[in-house]
Amino acid sequence: MGASRLPFKNLLRKPGRTAALLLLTALLAAAVFGGSLVIGSLRSGLDSLEARLGADIIVLPSSAESKVSFKNILLQGTTGAFYMDASVLDQVRAAQGVEIAAPQTFLASLKADCCAVKVQIIGIDPETDFIVKPWIDESYSHELGDMEVVVGCNVTAGVGETLKIYDQHTHVVARLAETGTGLDTAVYCSLDTMKKLLAAAEAKGVTHQISSDTDDLISAVYVKVKDGWDVGLVNTWLNGHVRKVTAVRARSMFTDVSDSLAGISRAVTGLIGAVWALALIVLLIAFAMMIHERRREFAVLRLLGVSRRGLRAEILAETGLCSLAGALLGVGIAAAGVFPFTTLIETRLGLPYLTPSAVTVLRLASVTLLATLLVGGVAGAWAAARLSRVDPGVALREGE
Amino acid sequence: MLKAESLSMRYFRKTGKANHFFAVHDVSLELRPGEVTLLTGRSGSGKTTLLHMLAGLLTPTEGKVWLGGTDLYVLPDKALSRLRREKIGVIPQSRSAIDTLTVLENVLLPAQLNGEKGDEQTAMRWLEALGIANLKDARPAELSGGELRRMAIARALAGGAEVILADEPTGDLDDENTAAALTLLRRAAEEDGKAVLLVTHDNEALRFGNRRFRMDGGRLYSDEQNARRFDAPELGKEC
Amino acid sequence: MKKSIIPACAMLALSLVVIAGSQTFLAPCAHEDGSLGACHWAGQALLGEGCLLAVLAAAALALKKERAGLYLAMIPSSILGICTPGGLIALCKAPTMRCRMLMRPAMIILFAAMLVVALTGWLLTRREAR
Repeated sequence: MGASRLPFKNLLRKPGRTAALLLLTALLAAAVFGGSLVIGSLRSGLDSLEARLGADIIVLPSSAESKVSFKNILLQGTTGAFYMDASVLDQVRAAQGVEIAAPQTFLASLKADCCAVKVQIIGIDPETDFIVKPWIDESYSHELGDMEVVVGCNVTAGVGETLKIYDQHTHVVARLAETGTGLDTAVYCSLDTMKKLLAAAEAKGVTHQISSDTDDLISAVYVKVKDGWDVGLVNTWLNGHVRKVTAVRARSMFTDVSDSLAGISRAVTGLIGAVWALALIVLLIAFAMMIHERRREFAVLRLLGVSRRGLRAEILAETGLCSLAGALLGVGIAAAGVFPFTTLIETRLGLPYLTPSAVTVLRLASVTLLATLLVGGVAGAWAAARLSRVDPGVALREGE
Repeated sequence: MLKAESLSMRYFRKTGKANHFFAVHDVSLELRPGEVTLLTGRSGSGKTTLLHMLAGLLTPTEGKVWLGGTDLYVLPDKALSRLRREKIGVIPQSRSAIDTLTVLENVLLPAQLNGEKGDEQTAMRWLEALGIANLKDARPAELSGGELRRMAIARALAGGAEVILADEPTGDLDDENTAAALTLLRRAAEEDGKAVLLVTHDNEALRFGNRRFRMDGGRLYSDEQNARRFDAPELGKEC
Repeated sequence: MKKSIIPACAMLALSLVVIAGSQTFLAPCAHEDGSLGACHWAGQALLGEGCLLAVLAAAALALKKERAGLYLAMIPSSILGICTPGGLIALCKAPTMRCRMLMRPAMIILFAAMLVVALTGWLLTRREAR
């Protein structure tokens, strides 16, 4: 055994003491990594939502429920359906300052069997849509044909399979990448396909909650404002001049989501800070006690010719090894507690939640490791500094 | 080989009328290669304090310690520690095992701290000579006081040190092991040329020394001359 | 107290969590129409595997000589538990169903922990025997 393996031997042959220190640093690392991962995923989800939204203004039917329903569709994946006359689209397009106006129509499916969930069906105009179409294009470059659908990643139908909606057979042609939003449980089709599905739904007794002479129904209009135009002014004009609709600025619709996220973020960050401070204090005490308990051993090492610097290196090696092992364990525990339960966390929080990229996760893990090593290093360095106060002669004579 | 010149250790503490007291007062002593030097004295007479100063563990308030021409206490800690590692073997009075290492690992530790692998065969020979070779894989917690003492002796002798400073090395030993330990220390001096300082209360040890000194109240006396204070003509000092 | 007993205590605790969880906080959702889906039977299988491991753990605590063999038996039993939900017995397809969202990941983690505990116990018992 070389003297350089002395820290390993000291840790391995005192399993109780080592386990206690390991557990402490593991808890710290788990709190830091787990908390950072949740915050990071919430931020990713919100960014994803904002990226998917893409519009400056969203025009919805003027009923109060439609705005709430729309938000829930996007955030939680709950299904909803609300309608207005398609003529609204022409009025919106005619407004000054509007660059593009793209319609979407919503329909909720029935729950097919005991193990299925309702899905949101969203009809888009492939010619004008700038919200979902670019995203669909990432997975499917062809035009959506008759009764062809593209599904979100959480819809349980594979590419090439048939999806039965209101007894109509639709063909799944593509599956979309995860967004961490309610759009992951949606099914997308063209407006022509949507008309057929709406008719089939009506035949099944599902009413559209709107009395209209026309078969043309839409649920929402997404508006992109021309460059240089004030979004607020266009929004105000639409609210004042288009009847039976509510125009909402996209950003303000999700202000409370951002606020919730900020609140959660602050709470988690505060918790991480508290855990970090507590872990530092406990480690300082634990290492100081360890030094005190082992002062005779250190006196013997001095007797055998280990310099003060060598002793400090020995202590820092032990605390460093402990911190590193604890950090790796903690990161593993947090990963086991967060990654497998992503869907559960997303559902319970009711907020957009998207696991960050592998690179981001690795970065978070690295920061966690460094933070834990720093805490261990500070505690170890303080313990090592205290050691210099121990007189080897006095320590050796204790217990004589 | 190891020479102490007017060593004193003053502690500042109120004792009686004074604000300080001398644990060791004006001690000059030379340890020569091939000799066993005995040091006796009552408890609290300063023997262990003197030993620690000779070992380079305790900086004297006055005086110098020379090892082979090097003044120990002008060296930085790193160099002094290295010198201690390479040239001085200490057998402390109290328990001095590293609990997380086995007996054999404890004995090899001085060499390994010096960056060497450590000669296991030599270490085993010392353990056998001290009658604890069968305990080579045992941990210190499993050993008796006497066995730990013998392990400490083996560690000091196996390390290749030129100076051995032994503080009550036979304290926990029975007669048979006491004789074995003292014989080994004597042999280390006579055959290997080591300079051995033996601090002891053991009457049995008295016949193993080449020279005898006594400490009383922090001062050193030659025991061959009983009550007379040590007159150190060899070192050119007047009392 | 022998160190090889500690994994048996941990195994007992974990298997009790599996037993209780499979029927309560980790159970799959009940169907509205009262029918029993595949996920229900997956939950029942996990209950059985939890009971088996609890019995093996209790036996390992009580029987010193057979301890190594009992730990060895816990290893494939734990692997069986890992493979059951979603592997040997299918679950609901939708990812937001309780069986997929909660029961499956939680049970896999619990049985993986039991696998580690069983391996540790077996190695410790062998070392003590030497």
